[in-house]
Amino acid sequence: MNCETCQLKELVVEPPEIREVLRCILHTILFHRALGLVRPKDVECELFDITYVQCEDHELEKKIDEKINQFIGWVEKHPNRKSQVCISFYEVKNKHATWFGNKIERFYWEQWYINLHIISPKPHGKSHNTKAHVVTGENAFEESNSRCAALESSLREVLFQIIKFVNEKKDHIPPLQNSEIVSYPYEISTPSSSDSSFGWHADVLKRMLQTGHPSMLS
Amino acid sequence: MASPSESDRKIITRFLHKTLHAVVASRVPRLHHAAAAGPASPKNDRWFHLALDDHPSPADHHGAVVDPLVFDILLTRRGCSDVIVERWTARCVPPVPWSAASPHHPHDGSFLRRTYKKCTILLRSIYTLLRLLPVHRIFRLLCSSSQPYNYDLCHKVLSFAAPFSRAQEAELKQYSFAPVETMLGHLVVSVQYRPSLTNFNLEVSLPTPPLIITDYVGSPAADPMRPFPSSLPDRMSHPIVYQYPPRGIRTLAAPSFDRPHSWNSASMVHHHLSSAPGPPDSELLPGHYGHLVPNQRSSMERKGSSGFGEFKLSPPCSTSPSPSPPTRVGNSQLSRLHSETSPVSIPLPATENNQMHRSPNFSDPFKSLFPPPSPRSTRTDLSFRESPSKSISFRKPDGFSLGDIHSNLHMHAAYKVIKDGRDDSGRFSALSSGGSPGYGFSSSSRQSIQDDLDDEDFSYPFAFDDVDTSDSQTRSLDGKEASENSGSHKSQEAAVGILVHMLKTAAPLRQDQSCSMQSLEPNGEASISSSVMSRKACDALEELQSYKEMKNLLLSKSGAKLQDSVKQRKESSEALS
Repeated sequence: MNCETCQLKELVVEPPEIREVLRCILHTILFHRALGLVRPKDVECELFDITYVQCEDHELEKKIDEKINQFIGWVEKHPNRKSQVCISFYEVKNKHATWFGNKIERFYWEQWYINLHIISPKPHGKSHNTKAHVVTGENAFEESNSRCAALESSLREVLFQIIKFVNEKKDHIPPLQNSEIVSYPYEISTPSSSDSSFGWHADVLKRMLQTGHPSMLS
Repeated sequence: MASPSESDRKIITRFLHKTLHAVVASRVPRLHHAAAAGPASPKNDRWFHLALDDHPSPADHHGAVVDPLVFDILLTRRGCSDVIVERWTARCVPPVPWSAASPHHPHDGSFLRRTYKKCTILLRSIYTLLRLLPVHRIFRLLCSSSQPYNYDLCHKVLSFAAPFSRAQEAELKQYSFAPVETMLGHLVVSVQYRPSLTNFNLEVSLPTPPLIITDYVGSPAADPMRPFPSSLPDRMSHPIVYQYPPRGIRTLAAPSFDRPHSWNSASMVHHHLSSAPGPPDSELLPGHYGHLVPNQRSSMERKGSSGFGEFKLSPPCSTSPSPSPPTRVGNSQLSRLHSETSPVSIPLPATENNQMHRSPNFSDPFKSLFPPPSPRSTRTDLSFRESPSKSISFRKPDGFSLGDIHSNLHMHAAYKVIKDGRDDSGRFSALSSGGSPGYGFSSSSRQSIQDDLDDEDFSYPFAFDDVDTSDSQTRSLDGKEASENSGSHKSQEAAVGILVHMLKTAAPLRQDQSCSMQSLEPNGEASISSSVMSRKACDALEELQSYKEMKNLLLSKSGAKLQDSVKQRKESSEALS
């Protein structure tokens, strides 16, 4: 089975916007991959004029929020960096009985990479001149507004990108084994809280070991 | 067991229905509200694993599967034509029979399952895209807000829709979903939408436009029979016509003019004390009160009277029990001028001379000064009629002279802004008021004014027959007046006219009054009321008599002195000789 990969457009976000952006993207992706019975729920972003859809599933929301909190914690320790959040869909296959126990294999058939460039908010320039300080404050406010508008536009593009990818790539999706399950099994990966580079690569290696040999399309 | 083609057909049909359902539920507020208001349906449409609320079925696709389904989302605006903001098209495109590219699909359930899965994903994408398009924002506004808007969204379901023109195509963007392969063809869904709706003037609409009530009475005690004019400019061209016999409070004969109130900015223009002097005629007319106050002083000064200078410092005060706008007491005159409610008209007997009373702005100053008429007008009418002996010249409006009419109006205008006590023994003011109490006023009109004035505790100068509000001195004067009035009215009027003339030239009165005003000025209204003496005919006559006596005395004294001096000279000359 092919593993389709989608690299989403990079978004430049500030720390307060991370949660909203990730929620929007992750829930949109999961909504398209939750092929079990769902009752859609419209959610309006607080920071942007965007409405996205999420599955009305408490477990799903909880898991997503946990991962987002984990990522935010990592960002606080490693500010002003580019990072990725990866959501992968897999299917469990072939429980190989080994000497050490049952080994569960995961076959990842789809991976989404959410690219984020975290920037720190610009502090207001200190000025002894009151007028200059006011002008600086006004400029900073305008800059912030324009940046926020640009982020909203980029987020919309990302959502359109998700829709396009989901519609163009359907053949790799495995059949639903159990209709009672809301969504395909998935995994959300964030940079490790340990040393970034080493921890990140360790996750990738782990995934590679778990993924079976890529096979042709069935 | 259904054949694969029948199953496929069913999938396609249900997919089209579900798509229409999703689109309409996300675009038509009316259906959204209907679904929300209705009872929760236990049975939701679970096709394609997407549980949607049970909406009233907008339309079912009754045609063939291969027939396209077009649903337009229209933006309806008040006063404008409907505009198509979105057009969704869903159709199953049959494969070309002779095409070699058409695949051979196995007639097993796997293909159907794949078709169903792909339709499920497609439906999810449609559902997501519906929330990303610009029209969804309008839908959210219409659904969430309770305010009425000047626009609405509705839909049309068609089997066939006329294609857009080139101009329309240029304004629209298109998004097409990847087709889903079925046994009967390719299921294609596309949408044409407007990328921006900023060109449309979408705003909240008020159910009723704000209205300014120009003839608001403001008082439940207002005379219901009193007609209220409607337009301000009409007053400019209508003369003031005074009616006799009096029939209660009447508005001016002008059929329509506004009732500017203290809160009406239009009335403020006429009350500005610094307004430019009006034409000479208007100086004496109460209509130009705003002009009157500063100008009157000068005119009175020229004539040697105190004039309205004191009135300038004596703002009106309305103590009307009716719920008229509150009047401020004790503040500047201007504020008081502005705090009064609509004036009461002063009906006068219609004469030829009334043409001179043409005062475009007559009502303006008064309306801001006068409180709304009280029901006492009828009561005082009755009381007035019951004492005819004391109502002398009120019943004799004839024989008015123009100057008297002017002066009466003067007096009325001036005293309307003054809160006067009941001291009727005050000296006669320098106002060129008409001597006759009924001068220029009908009885009921006077009473209507009296009612207003009563509210202010004001005693009209010549209201000698105001039994209710007069004190003992007034009553005694009334007694004298009764005896004096046993003569002819003409002689009385003539005497009053002479008195008026004398008063105008009586310099000491003005000085005294101005002094009293200056001393009482800080006290505001109370000082004003005490400083302005109400004049009555009897007082005037009395004063006239006293002046005559003084004159005679002076003459006699001077004559006696002369004689004495002549005598002395004679004696001295005789002595010398």
